[in-house]
Amino acid sequence: MTSFLHDLIATFPAFTRAAWMTLQITGISLGLALVIGLIFALMKVSGLRSLGIVYNGYVGIIRGTPLIVQIMWLYFGITHFVVLSAFWAGTIALAIHSGAYIAEIFRGCIQSVDRGQMEAAQSLGMKRGLAMRRIILPQAFKRAIPPMGNQFIIGLKDSSLVAFIGITEIFSLSMDNAAVTFKQLEFYTIAGLYYLAMVALFTYVLSRLEHRMDTAK
Amino acid sequence: MIIVSNLHKYFGELHVLKGVDLEVRPREVVVLIGASGSGKSTLLRCLNFLELKDEGSIVIDGQEIDPATTPLNKVRENVGMVFQHFNLFPHMTVLENVIEAPVHVKRIPKAEAIERARQLLDKVGLGDKSDAYPEKLSGGQKQRVAIARALAMEPSVMLFDEPTSALDPELVGEVLEVMKGLAADGMTMVVVTHEMGFAREVADRVVFLDGGTIAEQGPPGTLFSNPQHPKARQFLSRVL
Repeated sequence: MTSFLHDLIATFPAFTRAAWMTLQITGISLGLALVIGLIFALMKVSGLRSLGIVYNGYVGIIRGTPLIVQIMWLYFGITHFVVLSAFWAGTIALAIHSGAYIAEIFRGCIQSVDRGQMEAAQSLGMKRGLAMRRIILPQAFKRAIPPMGNQFIIGLKDSSLVAFIGITEIFSLSMDNAAVTFKQLEFYTIAGLYYLAMVALFTYVLSRLEHRMDTAK
Repeated sequence: MIIVSNLHKYFGELHVLKGVDLEVRPREVVVLIGASGSGKSTLLRCLNFLELKDEGSIVIDGQEIDPATTPLNKVRENVGMVFQHFNLFPHMTVLENVIEAPVHVKRIPKAEAIERARQLLDKVGLGDKSDAYPEKLSGGQKQRVAIARALAMEPSVMLFDEPTSALDPELVGEVLEVMKGLAADGMTMVVVTHEMGFAREVADRVVFLDGGTIAEQGPPGTLFSNPQHPKARQFLSRVL
């Protein structure tokens, strides 16, 4: 136990830097994923067949293949054509991956808003776009918060897979330490503790946000 | 005001409106009655193009409306609609509901829209509920807000789609009172309702639909006391 605590403390500076890397990758990829997800969801609910087909293709391919395959494909595939650092290859792969799930969340929440809301808005002279922006999306976003929080937690933990394209984040750092010291159990436990702490912090922020949305309507 | 000629509407295989001709004159109150499935709500929804006609023509304020070429949002600005299930915007206060379209569609300055909204809310007896959210209101109050919201666009005609059907019986009266007030002010109204007392008291003309066509129409006194069409006789004997 004392040796475990010693390992934990001794590696604290390195793990703090690694955790910062994890947070950057997660933050940037989820930010991009929100934009991607919203754009695709709006394409799907636009009612235009061609846009619906694009949506189905995107969501179908991304949900149908493992994230690790997507990361490898982007990192080794796209570098044939453009120079992309491991950081950006991993971050963009994660963004495209989460984007598909987030698109599904937005689509579901938009479609769950009662049809009468769009009719009422249109009956007042609003065009579809204005009605979507002012009436439908605010209601859909509120409903999206709980499933979105879930998806963000998944995104944070999924960022561990970029370890396999050589980015030093929490998981790869624990792999390295475990390999060098042969203390596999200790270092994977340490990795778990860092993820647990970040998820706990995030869950707290999310519950505050939900509470605020509830009191502010 | 509104001239409907030979209107046909299909839902898939189902032929819902089978050649309806209807004229609504300015300041007239027309009540549509009929059994469920007779097409009265569909006819009403065709008048503001929430349902698009399959055949026939609809002329509003002297202009024939072709959904392919006329911007329907412009037409709808002039045609207010009140729904059976209110359809208030739940994420906005009562006042925000009422000023939403004037501010974002008509681009009226907010202060002016608020002043006008307060007058309308006073008119429907809800001046004290401006800052409440819809979920805090009773059904009758919600429907009165919905009426104020539609009026805020200053439409030249108001459509009511079974405005009291979703209300508890004791709340029906307050909504009908507001509608009677509107009729007395000279608003042109087309009302789908099962409230025969309202039709008798307020309507200039009652239109009885059966199977997607207008079977009979006339002033409420005549139609209610001496219906000619057998289906109208049968329907009225059950509801009067």
